[in-house]
Amino acid sequence: MSNYIERFSTSERVLHWIVTASFFTLLLSGLGLYSRLFNGYFNLFGGGQNAILVHKIGGVIFFCSSIYMYLNHKKDVSTFDQDDKAWVEKRGGYLSRDAAHFNIGKYNPGQKLFALYVAAATAVLGVTGVFIWAPTLFPRWIVQISLLTHGLMFVGSIMFVIVHVYLATIGNPGTIDAMLYGDVKRGWAKKHHPKWYKETTGENP
Amino acid sequence: MADTINQATRKGFLVDTSRCIGCRSCQVACKQWNKTDADITSNKGTFENPRDLTPALFNRIRFVESEASGAVSWQFLNERCMQCGDAGCMKVCPSPGALYRTKDGIVAYNKEKCISCKYCVSACPFNVPRYDANDKVSKCNLCQSRIEGGMTPACAKACPTESLKFGNRSQLIAKATAAKKTLYGENDLLGLGVVYALEGPPEQYGLPAKPSIPMSIFLWKDVIKPLGILGFWGSIGAMLLHYVTIGPKKIDDETGKGDGHE
Repeated sequence: MSNYIERFSTSERVLHWIVTASFFTLLLSGLGLYSRLFNGYFNLFGGGQNAILVHKIGGVIFFCSSIYMYLNHKKDVSTFDQDDKAWVEKRGGYLSRDAAHFNIGKYNPGQKLFALYVAAATAVLGVTGVFIWAPTLFPRWIVQISLLTHGLMFVGSIMFVIVHVYLATIGNPGTIDAMLYGDVKRGWAKKHHPKWYKETTGENP
Repeated sequence: MADTINQATRKGFLVDTSRCIGCRSCQVACKQWNKTDADITSNKGTFENPRDLTPALFNRIRFVESEASGAVSWQFLNERCMQCGDAGCMKVCPSPGALYRTKDGIVAYNKEKCISCKYCVSACPFNVPRYDANDKVSKCNLCQSRIEGGMTPACAKACPTESLKFGNRSQLIAKATAAKKTLYGENDLLGLGVVYALEGPPEQYGLPAKPSIPMSIFLWKDVIKPLGILGFWGSIGAMLLHYVTIGPKKIDDETGKGDGHE
């Protein structure tokens, strides 16, 4: 019996890294637009005008891939059950060194919340991005609100992403394997997602 | 934001609307000096022409027609970039040097540094900046080159009634105040570079009574921007703190009977 089980398929992984790559492209090309403090980041793209062009192209790629990713996982990430409630009540055991056991399915509520935020942020950033793209075609108040909202949703996104990267790497050793090779160790699955382990393998964790 | 203006040497306009006869010499002189193309307009039943500022029209006369007790009143307002002391366009411009403050206190611009983001269009309290065919900002800069050469702006030079007066801003204001004029823009937005002596309430002329940088733009640049930077470093700090205090959730052994953080 293999010590590994598959968590994410090849297409899921490729999609995830397209979303990731476009996100960081948007981050780097957008920093100079966020504030003059980050004007130096424009140099990565050969000037502000090019950075704006890259931001527009990256935005379209991110929007499509991120929305597609959400639609593919909509059912998994938008339903919460009683076991999820127990997880939320104890904050997933992340605020204590004591051992905590939760009967979690494929995703825990934190992961679901992140997925839902990213989906909502993608929609909002995409729509406001269109208004900012061609501001003279729309009423001024719409563009003004869009600039504000675009900045706000970005701030939320980058904060969520920092937490996401931490929890998926050094915060939970073994997790990144799922997104790199697709397979996770059985021990990891039994500990973090016992209900999913049972559903996938038929064995009791 | 942090641009400073020497109020003592600041130059500007005093526009006395009571003296304006709506001849539009200012419009013509501006187009001539700045070599801007003619705009094709259409007759909409008013003498006002063109009906709005364009990338090729940096100032224009706004015609205000109103009727009071059977008599028609006709008022004229010279509309242009107000050279705000606290300029929304400069606040949001992400490209250093594209919009900048001159030593005379004027909001000047350099098209070569403009990156065509159009943020200034949204941030202007008076809806002034326009974008030209090359997608670059264009607006009145008080004939920066003429001022630097010791001349008055073309529009003021051409004005036959001295409705447009150019000079030291504080002296112009002192004179108008002594003449008991009702001034608009003396203190708003750290003082407008273009101050008006109006004959009625500002709204009558289509001017905002209390001009200010749009609230959403203020929230974006003065609230979300700093808090966002704080949030970014705060999140990284919180993750590092979590790692060294509570620590990662390690898998104890290959059987998966891992127990918490040990």
